[in-house]
Amino acid sequence: MKDQEPIVYVIDDEALIRDGIQSLIRSIGLRAVAFSSPSEFLQAKRFEAPSCLVLDVRMPGQSGLDLQRQLNDADIFIPIIFITGHADIPMTVRAMKDGAMEFLPKPVRSQDLLDAVQKAIERDREQRKVHAELTEIRGRFNSLTPRETEVLNLVVAGLLNKQIADKLGTSELTVKTHRARVMEKTAADSLAHLVRMTERLKAVQK
Amino acid sequence: MNHFAPRRSNALLRYGAAPTFVVAALYLSFALRASFGNPAWFFFPAAVIAATWIGGKGPGGVAVVLSTLTVQYYFVPPIGSLGINRHDLPYFLIFVVCEALASWVISWRKDAEDAIRQARDELEVRVAERTAELKDANKALLAKMDEQQRTQEDLQSTRTELARVVRITTIGELTTSIAHEVNQPLAAVVANADACVAWLSLQVPNLTEARAAAERAIQGATRASEVIARIRSLINKRPPERIPVQLNIVIEETSMLAASQAAKNGVTISNELDPNLPCVVGDRIQLQQVLFNLVMNAMEAMSSISDRPRELKIRSQVQDSGQILVSVEDTGVGVNAETMARLFEPFFTTRAQGVGMGLSISRSIIEAHGGRLWADSSLGHGSTFQFALEHAEATRA
Repeated sequence: MKDQEPIVYVIDDEALIRDGIQSLIRSIGLRAVAFSSPSEFLQAKRFEAPSCLVLDVRMPGQSGLDLQRQLNDADIFIPIIFITGHADIPMTVRAMKDGAMEFLPKPVRSQDLLDAVQKAIERDREQRKVHAELTEIRGRFNSLTPRETEVLNLVVAGLLNKQIADKLGTSELTVKTHRARVMEKTAADSLAHLVRMTERLKAVQK
Repeated sequence: MNHFAPRRSNALLRYGAAPTFVVAALYLSFALRASFGNPAWFFFPAAVIAATWIGGKGPGGVAVVLSTLTVQYYFVPPIGSLGINRHDLPYFLIFVVCEALASWVISWRKDAEDAIRQARDELEVRVAERTAELKDANKALLAKMDEQQRTQEDLQSTRTELARVVRITTIGELTTSIAHEVNQPLAAVVANADACVAWLSLQVPNLTEARAAAERAIQGATRASEVIARIRSLINKRPPERIPVQLNIVIEETSMLAASQAAKNGVTISNELDPNLPCVVGDRIQLQQVLFNLVMNAMEAMSSISDRPRELKIRSQVQDSGQILVSVEDTGVGVNAETMARLFEPFFTTRAQGVGMGLSISRSIIEAHGGRLWADSSLGHGSTFQFALEHAEATRA
């Protein structure tokens, strides 16, 4: 699937730099798409593939840092490699706090940039994998009925079937049936697996 | 007066002439008495005339007296005495009167001549004096004109130098912007050269890609050198020129140099240029300095604005009068009336680190180009600084 191949988005208002970086990235066999401004990037269709952003900090209109904020606010987590001609400390701190992968000075050393790009794409690949897993788990958990969810919560809290039946005012047999359905629907191998999945979902929901 | 001194020292000679001529007349009269009867009647008046002619009135009188006495003694009977016969007296008196008259006429004539000569001499002296005075005055005037010319030149060079210093100060404020301007094309060179090497290092080198990257590297390097040339021309020391200047190009260059500073300050610069704008005659660098200044001021005025977009609009247009109007409009804090009144004064500034020369220099540059520079502002909404210049054709006419 072509769409699964990694892709690098390059955003710089300076055509020569944009083209140079794009060419450099393509030379190591990666796909690269270039944009002259953040808004052009936001309007474009993005691929569902491991990707990263090579972003100029200073551009007329919207700056690279503004775009980073905007992506964060929109829950779009794509690793960003900033390039800038003159980074000051507050700028760097802000970018790193907001989750930038790298902050490279212009002119960029090609090896630094390519290393950063590889690292960023790896991270995005991981991120996407985790994200996909979580989405799947969440889907499975969402298929539980309200009663099953109640049972699930008490099971992972460490209660025995008998205690659960007491709490819910039903028979132990009913709880056992619910419990079996939960294990089946969530595709849990064991109680431990079920707990781990629940914890992961809770961690993300926080 | 010096001129008449020899006359006075000749007094002896003058008075000596009288007895000399009388004695000469006496001698000639005796010597020629045999052949001419009595030549005394002729020689003595001649002696009086000669003495008067040479000596003037005084010696003339002396000659009259001496010749009267001599004639009376030697030639009027009774000879050898000062007595005189009664019937000879009228003739003798007529002789004396004639002699005196001759002496008077001659001396009068001589005096007149002397007076004329003296007047002429004096006139010559006065003319010479006046000529010398005029020459001095002329020289002084020339020296003064020279001095004025020098002062004018000094003033001009001071003004040029001051403008340059202010320009450098302004450029100093733009250092980050300029560093960025130079760094951008260099970054492009490095990125593209790297890409070129990368394409060539592949197992099967991709020459098409490598060539494209190399060409972009060349473009970047050319751009870098252009930027440096542009900045150097702003810093260079040189007398102002008067050549046709296309203001649209100046505006574009200025907004380009200020672009990254604007980006840093969150300012959007937009140009609205009349494509048919005629040239003006003047100094490109100085005109660029004016624009620079106005642009920097506009950005400064918008630095505290957060409730509206920070927009800077540079406009060029031809007015109905044929003049070229360039305006720099901002959406900044605006200028209050009190500040407006002092805006163009030297050393007036509202900024902590400002020199306060920018607008004053800008106005003097525009005025030296035969134009005018002024400002309109509405407090809290922004300001417009604009200047009007004659187009090149009008300047030549």
